[in-house]
Amino acid sequence: MENILSLITFIPLVGMMVIICLPKQAIGLIKGVSLVATGIPLVLATQLYFAYDPAHGADGSYWAEEQFAWIKMINANYHVGVDGISLPLVWLTSLLLFLGVPASFGIKKSQKAYYALLLLLEVGIFGVFISLDYFLFYVFWEIMLLPMYFLIGIWGGPRREYAAIKFFLYTLAGSVLMLIAIIALRLDSGTFSIPLLVEMASNGTLTGASLPGGGELLGMSFSTWAFWFLFVGFAIKIPVFPFHTWLPDAHVQAPTPISVILAGILLKLGGYGLMRACFPILPGAFVENAYFLGILGAFSIVYGSFVALGQTDFKRMVAYSSVSHMGYVLLGTGALTVWGTDGAAMQMFAHGTSSAAMFMVVGVIYDRAHHRDLNGFGGLSQPMPVYWGLTTFCFFAALGLPTMSGFIAEALTLVGAFQSSDTRFQALVLFSVIGIVITAAFLLWAIQRVFLGPLNEKYKDYPDMNFREIFCMAPLLFLCLLLGVFPHLILDKMEPSITHLVNLLQSAAN
Amino acid sequence: MDIYLDGMKAIAPELVLTALALVTLVADLLMRGRNSRFIGYITLAGLAVVGMMLAMRVGAEPQTVFGMVEVDSFGTFFKLFTVASVAVVTVFVLSDRSERKDGIGEYYFLLLGAAIGIFFMVSTNHLLLLMLGLELLSLASYSLAGFHKGERKSAEAAMKYVVFGGLSAGVMLYGISLLYGLTGTLELDVMATQAGNAMPFGLVPQLDHNVIPVAIAMVMVLAGFAYKMSVVPFHFWTPDVYEGAPTPVTTFLAVASKAAGVAALLRFLGALFMTEGVQPVVEWYGDRIGMLLAILAAVTMTLGNLSALRQSSLKRMLAYSSIAHAGYILIGVATLEPDGFSAAMYYMAAYYFMNLGAFGVLLYFESAVGSDRIEDLKGFGWKAPLISITMVAFLVSLTGLPPTVGFYGKYLLFKAGIDHGLSWLVFVAAINSVVSLFYYFSVAKALFLSEPAQRPALSQPLFAALLTGLGLLTIWFGLMPGSIEEFVQRCLLL
Repeated sequence: MENILSLITFIPLVGMMVIICLPKQAIGLIKGVSLVATGIPLVLATQLYFAYDPAHGADGSYWAEEQFAWIKMINANYHVGVDGISLPLVWLTSLLLFLGVPASFGIKKSQKAYYALLLLLEVGIFGVFISLDYFLFYVFWEIMLLPMYFLIGIWGGPRREYAAIKFFLYTLAGSVLMLIAIIALRLDSGTFSIPLLVEMASNGTLTGASLPGGGELLGMSFSTWAFWFLFVGFAIKIPVFPFHTWLPDAHVQAPTPISVILAGILLKLGGYGLMRACFPILPGAFVENAYFLGILGAFSIVYGSFVALGQTDFKRMVAYSSVSHMGYVLLGTGALTVWGTDGAAMQMFAHGTSSAAMFMVVGVIYDRAHHRDLNGFGGLSQPMPVYWGLTTFCFFAALGLPTMSGFIAEALTLVGAFQSSDTRFQALVLFSVIGIVITAAFLLWAIQRVFLGPLNEKYKDYPDMNFREIFCMAPLLFLCLLLGVFPHLILDKMEPSITHLVNLLQSAAN
Repeated sequence: MDIYLDGMKAIAPELVLTALALVTLVADLLMRGRNSRFIGYITLAGLAVVGMMLAMRVGAEPQTVFGMVEVDSFGTFFKLFTVASVAVVTVFVLSDRSERKDGIGEYYFLLLGAAIGIFFMVSTNHLLLLMLGLELLSLASYSLAGFHKGERKSAEAAMKYVVFGGLSAGVMLYGISLLYGLTGTLELDVMATQAGNAMPFGLVPQLDHNVIPVAIAMVMVLAGFAYKMSVVPFHFWTPDVYEGAPTPVTTFLAVASKAAGVAALLRFLGALFMTEGVQPVVEWYGDRIGMLLAILAAVTMTLGNLSALRQSSLKRMLAYSSIAHAGYILIGVATLEPDGFSAAMYYMAAYYFMNLGAFGVLLYFESAVGSDRIEDLKGFGWKAPLISITMVAFLVSLTGLPPTVGFYGKYLLFKAGIDHGLSWLVFVAAINSVVSLFYYFSVAKALFLSEPAQRPALSQPLFAALLTGLGLLTIWFGLMPGSIEEFVQRCLLL
């Protein structure tokens, strides 16, 4: 199919339009349309995933490209395409959004608006992953914010208004900085095309020389400030310490399916953005600061795990575990090795499945108990054995047990970082190991507090997980196991593109 | 005689507009103040005619008639803008539930009178005619602000406006007289290009020897523009007048009157510093003025945004937000380059859609909820979903987020700023947009993030259709901004 990427992106938009036209009482129909509008992209993305020839990425070219002029005056194009880095994330998006629909069946408030916004969110996410034009990329990046604001703000918990605007403000603060950098890059290079910008950067022609005053701002050289502006925009999304403070609030207040999407995909946008549209465009500044980025990553790993250890709110604990897990992405790419970057890319996928499943775990118990206090449970293994089993499975995936995808990703990242030509990374690896231990500790402790010990009488009549809940969680856990045992299913697809990226960055280092 | 006739032909839209104003006045007199709606319809029909005459003029050969009226595409752009704004404001007046049905014929007459003032203000390089146009606009605006004579707030608004406006006009006029004394001419392009010592002297000898008097005169003239655009520190009247005036009048002041200030400022600076044959020393001086404007821009947007944060009234918040937007527009003006000017003009076009829309929704809320307090809108979004979603589109655009016309406008302004060495100002503006998100979205928060309100929605299908149309255009021109941008560049023939 020629326009497969556009189809994947805009079918949810069509679904949204249909839902808007439906009467709000037709709830069954609305849910059905949502399932179809997220199901078709899943089928198409699966087909695309298996059709993708990884060798294609070895020279940095893209698959299923589409390009036509959009705003001629400023030379902005509708230019989309995927490679080994974005394709797994596109597929993950289509899967999580599809699972997000049945996971939302428990929501009873203004369902028409809810599903319409959910589909709009999907359009924005797909758009970011497939855009190869920086202007288009930015437009999709911002389109995501609005549905997310309302999804948290309307269907969230008691402090939802605060959490929603905090999420919005943080992300916008990052993205206006990005916008300035994008405009400066455009003025210097005359193009918005990301592949072209990368090419110019590798030729050393992207220096800010054609900007007034050599492009200096606030006393920093062009490449330095442009790099940091872009980096902060993406780092807020990942989120890297110290930009992570919006995350626990947003996660805790958001309804379960939105937390799933937030942790599963939205955080990946930051890591993806760095790999696609920041590091390769300003490789010089990246190489200069790579060690510092490594420190930020390692610190996030350890810091996130320690803060998670101290939480009594189940969801807050899971939220901080995301901060910890996403630190690997920065550590791995900063190391400038193929293994490290492979690990980072794989970690994004692995965390996308395991953290999404973890938020579903929290959702299951919250739907029954209406609280999330870890110390308030106990002995739940007796009334809910299936839930206990799946949760344990899920937590083992998250703590990186061998045979799980998280293990492969973390191992690759750490080995890759250890191999780095910058030997200071070895110290960072040793430091990060603390995070692994603490992660295991808080996850096992959580299992102990929730499932073991004497059964609290209040909970003895709780029904076990129903079919819908299992249906939403099982595919994610299956993926964790599948990719843990056969990691080449995803690594083979990513490898050539990643190697190309690392070669680009390394040539800037030399 | 032929020259005279040609001149009359060139200013035909102005003549038709004047005739239209007189027709409304006479019609109101003949009907003894009854059935004012009918006069509103006459106004709309007349404006449509004027708009068509202007549209046919786009891209025509520029000419100067009567020695001081410039008939060119730049002026046509802002005249079209004015006609389109006054037309929408007229619909606002017609849909305003709090307005009397009869005895308000002069409302339309005053609006048209103000429009005539704007027409002349935006199409001259001659300082005297500029002043006359500005005064005509101001006088009509004073009366409009106090249109609800019986209401304390409206009367107070008119009084404040008169005092502040009179002062600013006086300062500006004094500046003009100084400039005249220093240069011997009131024509801006002559001032900029005159090089020798013959009468008139032009700016060159003054700038060569003694810059201070020129600087004083220049700042005084700029004060007049700053007052019309509500740029800090000449913005003090804005919140009170905007709040006290009837909402359609506020809309007129925020959109048409501000655009007139921007247009006159652009023409002033363009004729003085960017004409062909401008003397090097004048150009050098222009850069200083540009720097002054950049600083004013930074202060204006920051102060406007910070003050808007604290407002509990939607109307007052929009007033402060309009101050902040004047600051954004100044980024483009301060570059003193054609692409900066075209960015400012594009932003005005964007401003047209999003601000008319936002004020229109405010008018609707005032009728439906009976208050302009943001708090009272709680949960109203679920009762009036179409208008409220449209409002969200306007708010997104005002914040400057894609995919809306406001984003593209901001993009152009930022681009012009970075390209001409004002990166620091762009940085300030970017931080300001983040701040503005907070107060703009306090409205979205009130509308949708609370439980549905008890109060039923108000059915105003035609008015809702107009607002929805503005909302759709806000998004459409954000996705497909090329057509407006091309139009702006065709109109910007300096």
